[in-house]
Amino acid sequence: MSFDSSPILRQKPTLDREALRDVIDLSLWAGQLLLQHGAESARIEETVHRLGTGLGANWMDVLVSPNAIAVTTVSGDEFRTKIRRVVAIGVNLRIIDEVNTVSRWVQTGGLDRFQVRKAFERIDHLPRQYDRRVVVLMVGLACAAFSRLFGGDWPVFFITFLASATAMWIRQQLMKRYFNSLLVVIVVAFVSGLIASLATRLELSPHPQIALIAAPLLLVPGVHLINAAEDLIKGHLVTGIVRGFTGGLVTLGIAIGLGLAMRLMGVWI
Amino acid sequence: MNIIDFIGLLVQDAIWSAAAAVGFGILFNVPRRALLGCAIGGALGHATRTCLMEFGVIIEISTLIGSTVIGFYGLVMARRYEMPVAMFTISAAVTMVPGVFAFRTMMGMLEISSADPETASLALVTAASNGIKTGLILGAIAIGIAAPALIFERPKPVV
Repeated sequence: MSFDSSPILRQKPTLDREALRDVIDLSLWAGQLLLQHGAESARIEETVHRLGTGLGANWMDVLVSPNAIAVTTVSGDEFRTKIRRVVAIGVNLRIIDEVNTVSRWVQTGGLDRFQVRKAFERIDHLPRQYDRRVVVLMVGLACAAFSRLFGGDWPVFFITFLASATAMWIRQQLMKRYFNSLLVVIVVAFVSGLIASLATRLELSPHPQIALIAAPLLLVPGVHLINAAEDLIKGHLVTGIVRGFTGGLVTLGIAIGLGLAMRLMGVWI
Repeated sequence: MNIIDFIGLLVQDAIWSAAAAVGFGILFNVPRRALLGCAIGGALGHATRTCLMEFGVIIEISTLIGSTVIGFYGLVMARRYEMPVAMFTISAAVTMVPGVFAFRTMMGMLEISSADPETASLALVTAASNGIKTGLILGAIAIGIAAPALIFERPKPVV
């Protein structure tokens, strides 16, 4: 991997003990924020490297694995290595944007390590921008829009909206209580399937199955799957395979939940 | 189909995929000022794909071209708004993720367990063909949205 600085640039002043500690701490923190919130591996490597070298290290080596980041930072004759375990929380693109902005400012020399620490503390506590109810409505609308894309009529549109909005609300409630995320997927897919199968049971439309296909789409691990394929293309095979497998498991969870609901309601796609 | 109907179809497709992209953008907590960009990206990419599919191009190739449009569009927007490309490409590309094929695969796999040999082998074939389709479409999306990076950023290995 080549980045903006190369090992030839050894003329930087050697960092003292405390500065070197801060550099590795902050760049790991950046990597952790990115990995937790759904960035792809190439971006994580690049950002961590840029941040560390921007803060005065001569070289940074970054290893991104599916649930940990290891960083070695070099300054003069000193080096330091640190590993941090990372648990993925969920996709949050705003945090990725903010971390990226900080790393760009550091690179142009606009921020020192104390300001970077302040910035990350702020980013870590950023509230979500959209109210929970707005998310419920918009996710419902997104799945209903999918039902139109699949050729559904207006009754199907409304049933899909109802099914996905309810499912999203239940998902938020369960996630708030820290249930296992695969279990949440199965339950939420089940609920969306129950409501969506009303379109078939009440004979609301000539193509009622479309509601069943569109309603659980809110659960499809799109970011995981796209990141998986992108990681694989760019040579990050381990993270790519793990993300792909995670995406597959979530999809299996959807199929189980939806299948149970369909059995119970006696409907077929 | 005459030309008016065709344009009508594309406009509807663009509107609904824009709505889907915004919905997923909000789910992924995209910064507010990038939301409109997501909507336009979703509309552009998905309408391109639908247009090609109407002309009889297979879904994998149509997806590749549609997501390449999203990739380059994302590059332009990322420069303009000084944000990572992913802000615009991810929620736009999610509209093309083969969710339906993915769960047909899994449904098929579950069906293999519960049927007599005849239906089981049919289910196996269905699952396999849907699974491969899912993989191909996902690969097409990833190559498409990474296309600008793959074409313009070719770092020479230093190690």
